[in-house]
Amino acid sequence: MDAHTSSTCDMDELVELRRNLEEKSLEVDRLRQKLKLYEEHDKRHKAMLDCELINDNNLHTIPHLSVISKLENSSIARHSRQLILPEIGVKGQISIANTSVLIVGAGGLGCPSAIYLAAAGIGRLGIVDYDEVELSNLHRQVLHTEDRIGIEKSASVTTAIKGLNSSVVCIPYHMSLNSSNAIQVIQQYDIVLDCTDNVATRYLLNDACVLTGKPLVSGSALRFEGQVTVYNTQDGPCYRCLFPIPPPPETVTNCSDGGVLGVVPGIIGCIQALETLKIASGIGASYCQKLLVFDGIDGTFRTIKLRSKKKNCVVCSENPTITQLIDYEQFCGSKATDKSKTVKLLSNENRISVENYANIVKEKHYHVLVDVRTPCEMDICQLPNTINIPITEVGKNNDNMHKLKTAIDKLTDQVQTVPVYVVCRLGNDSQSAVQILQEMLSDLPVTIKDIRGGLVQWAKKIDPEFPQY
Amino acid sequence: MESAEVEVRLLFFAKSRELVGRKEDTIKLPIHLLPAGLWEGILAKHPCLQPISDNITIALNQEYIAREETEPIVLKEGDEIAIIPPLSGG
Repeated sequence: MDAHTSSTCDMDELVELRRNLEEKSLEVDRLRQKLKLYEEHDKRHKAMLDCELINDNNLHTIPHLSVISKLENSSIARHSRQLILPEIGVKGQISIANTSVLIVGAGGLGCPSAIYLAAAGIGRLGIVDYDEVELSNLHRQVLHTEDRIGIEKSASVTTAIKGLNSSVVCIPYHMSLNSSNAIQVIQQYDIVLDCTDNVATRYLLNDACVLTGKPLVSGSALRFEGQVTVYNTQDGPCYRCLFPIPPPPETVTNCSDGGVLGVVPGIIGCIQALETLKIASGIGASYCQKLLVFDGIDGTFRTIKLRSKKKNCVVCSENPTITQLIDYEQFCGSKATDKSKTVKLLSNENRISVENYANIVKEKHYHVLVDVRTPCEMDICQLPNTINIPITEVGKNNDNMHKLKTAIDKLTDQVQTVPVYVVCRLGNDSQSAVQILQEMLSDLPVTIKDIRGGLVQWAKKIDPEFPQY
Repeated sequence: MESAEVEVRLLFFAKSRELVGRKEDTIKLPIHLLPAGLWEGILAKHPCLQPISDNITIALNQEYIAREETEPIVLKEGDEIAIIPPLSGG
């Protein structure tokens, strides 16, 4: 190797080294930036969770509310606009600050009621929810945020409340209320808000409030409708005086099946907060022995005068037969959640998996596909070549059923038995539909099966691009 | 003794609206009848309400009707009867 070549080589190497170094330092910068971002995110999450979550194991540790007898200057300044209302005044504001409120359910009703109670200067706020934040909550559960998806709802609401009014003592309970813990929790509060989403917890809260003598500010919402009643106060009735028998579980529609426009529980939750503040400040509730019925489509508020206490009410009468909490899931025949349940009506030979159906489509086997969801849901997503017969129309004499029969007829030239597959969102309605169709089409050469797990499973296992709702 | 009839408005809320498939209807009912008879008359016209029969609030002109009450009620032409099942969502 001569000197000349060697020095050229050095020059090339030098250039290469410089470029290399530049690239590496850019890379280091990028990594530093990324690290900084992650650290900030981590810090934020830690700050969010900088509150002790209460559960069944540490129920007794909740912070005390110290009673005040005069307002501090900061409180006077903060609450000045409501202090000058003669109905509230200093006395009312002090009462509000000395009141402990338990909100059960940190969802569509719990979020608006919690934030307005905190804004008004409520003393202590307990937030009960067993669930974590999901993307599909955000359209109505407006205290949660995109970066708190996956975090406990009770902690998420606590974070929001701390941001608005740090003087509120906020206690997140990450747990379900049930007959063994409800009394212990409720005893530590003055007023309870029913912001739940299921029948079993509604009866539980009613009985627990009767047994502990607490007013129950109850709200509910579905689709465009909402209802408010304040139970168990001012000599008014309790929930059981009005509804001694729980509804058959199959007649109860939850928000994930029936839908709800977010602002509707927003309105109802705000009214719950207002009723609570009137009780706390001494004005008294308006919806005791009254039922507010809100219809968001018509824009109407109706107030129904309700019955007085039922003389033979099993829990709130003078001679109650229920003197301690019972098993409410058993009493109602339904779980204390609003999660859609999975039913099993069909035996395995009447069902196929999404994988098997995907294979049938891939190999172009002759078949008919029926989707039994509503037309509104069909607009969101559907599989190709579907006949839509909404579950309420299955088995009735209508155009859709006619379409199905024609489709079957067409295939009888190609195959001896025509396979008919029925699909819906979760694989519950599709099973009922199969039962109806098997009976109705018994004279046709068909085999009718449902697709197990429905379109949700399809999206999970076959087509990740398929929308889930 | 046959009682004369009047036409009253029925308003359906929540699950009853879903079952009947509409928000409003009219129905002819006797002027004098017991609360239990009032509900029977409504059920006869809308048998689809049977599954929620034990779980509703019935209000006549925005006032609760106790079905076990044995005092007869008196209906007028155009009275408003609301069928209100409880909602449980939130």
